[in-house]
Amino acid sequence: MALLDVEDLQIAVAKGRVLLPVVQGVSFSVDADETLGIVGESGCGKSLTSLAIMGLLDGTAVRITGGTIRFDGMDLGALSPKERRAIMGNRMAMIFQEPMTSLNPVYRVGDQIVENLRQHRDLSKRAARDRAVELLDLVRIPDPGQRIDSFPHQMSGGQRQRVMIAMALSCDPKLLIADEPTTALDVTVQKEVLDLMADLQKRMGTAIVLISHDLGVIAETCDKVSVMYRGRVAEAAPTAELFARLAHPYTRGLLNSIPVVDHDVEWLEAIPGRVPTIDEQLTGCAFHPRCPLATDLCSQTAPDPLQIAPAHRVECHFAEKVVT
Amino acid sequence: MKLAAYIRSTFGGRKLATIGLIWLCLVALAAIFAPLLAPFDPYEIDPVARLSEPGLPYLFGTDHFGRDTFSRAIYGARMTVVIGAGSVIVALLTGGLIGMLSAYFPRLGAVLMRGIDVLMAFPALLLALVLITLLERSVVNTVLVIGIVYATTTARILFGMTLKLKGEVFVDAAICSGAGHGSILFRHILPNLISPLLVQASFIFAFAQLQAAALDFLGLGLPAEVASWGNMLSEERIYVTRAPWLLIYPGVLIILSVFSMNLVGDAMRDAIDPRFKDDIAGV
Repeated sequence: MALLDVEDLQIAVAKGRVLLPVVQGVSFSVDADETLGIVGESGCGKSLTSLAIMGLLDGTAVRITGGTIRFDGMDLGALSPKERRAIMGNRMAMIFQEPMTSLNPVYRVGDQIVENLRQHRDLSKRAARDRAVELLDLVRIPDPGQRIDSFPHQMSGGQRQRVMIAMALSCDPKLLIADEPTTALDVTVQKEVLDLMADLQKRMGTAIVLISHDLGVIAETCDKVSVMYRGRVAEAAPTAELFARLAHPYTRGLLNSIPVVDHDVEWLEAIPGRVPTIDEQLTGCAFHPRCPLATDLCSQTAPDPLQIAPAHRVECHFAEKVVT
Repeated sequence: MKLAAYIRSTFGGRKLATIGLIWLCLVALAAIFAPLLAPFDPYEIDPVARLSEPGLPYLFGTDHFGRDTFSRAIYGARMTVVIGAGSVIVALLTGGLIGMLSAYFPRLGAVLMRGIDVLMAFPALLLALVLITLLERSVVNTVLVIGIVYATTTARILFGMTLKLKGEVFVDAAICSGAGHGSILFRHILPNLISPLLVQASFIFAFAQLQAAALDFLGLGLPAEVASWGNMLSEERIYVTRAPWLLIYPGVLIILSVFSMNLVGDAMRDAIDPRFKDDIAGV
């Protein structure tokens, strides 16, 4: 049984009295020690999926309308708020996109780590503080004994993100959800943070769900990838398999729109058009208006999931054609 | 010294605000040391010397009972501080709590904030008058009534700010770390509201004086015998032609104090505003 098992997750946004589906039947699973990458453009539902796992959807404007999320055998949807709080920050933790705003500006960073620790562990203040210094050292904050008393605004973005990681890791979580953890950071800092996460995973055996719009980041860090488009998983496969045999025109488009440093490319190929807004009605395959291979079939019938290799699943009528 | 640094950064280069702060300190000292500073008992009647002009031994003259106006003015400072501080505490506790809870629990807020809207539909003084007529005249009731009047604006302000803070990522992060509602409201959101609360407090302190003076003047505020600046105005107003100093001294004291509090409040708000914005945006 996988550590995290998301099955047929459906999320809808309430607009007036109408419920507009934004995530439509997303399934994936993550085992301990494993890193799953979820990739897609803005608005494809990847962040909502992560918020749903952490229970951060408010339940009124944005709500889960179907599917199950199982963590370590427990159905998260069936837990009481109290049971849920005991898990969050403890056995599963999250890192946010904006390190600038994800720390409370009025507290010293050490206090925030200590608070998280004492929420879940029966530690004295002294012991919790020692552990916080250890954690800051672990995430390679220089001079952690001093920096523990810094306020967030006295730290750089990269350092704040490390503090967030330290906080997320404080109770040795089994699952870490990282929602674009490096998007707001400089490229060099980005690499350091990703390396740090990979290193910590190796040491602690944490499962990671890494959400990103950057295929490059995903390729480097993930064991398997789910490519999301408009609330559906368009293609899912182990990373090596995915990059060896791209089977969805959308994935191909994403890859083509990455600039390659050592090639002299004059023209960067972007995917034409944009992600349709949630209130646009689409028949057939959601990608057909932007797809170079689209035919009448695509605009009329939604493709069934197709298994083109073990663990390689794709939703496209012409997957076979794309692969070759 | 943190306090000294705070005062320097807030009042440095602002002459008027500095003068205001000094004046308020004087008022506070007068309130604390009233028994030592007042040359006479503010309630002692000297019928022979009634309505005597300012001079010696009665610095500010005497009223129609022959009570020393200077001593009454000094004791009046006590009432100023009591009314101001009391109203601030009542307003911030009730209004603050209502505003924060309303923003945090939208359904509760839909009910509570409509109630606040109804109260805000009345002019402040009218609302105070309605409430005070339901109660006996006493210091505590005056404080309560003025506190409730200003609780409405406090609730509005805190409602908006809490709503904004509730959407901040660090609140999501707190939820993710397993924090409960109480912990999120009071440990994560409330400390971020301290700056606006301070500014709000300074303005309520000032307006409470005006309200109290107005209520006193209308004979609905503090019991008539209590030495307060508003009562002094109210009691002696019929002697305005024969003994104008009886009105001038308390009037000037009220004006100076309210003006000072406003200046200090302005300075605090200006000093806090940019920093507050910075803290939230994290820039």
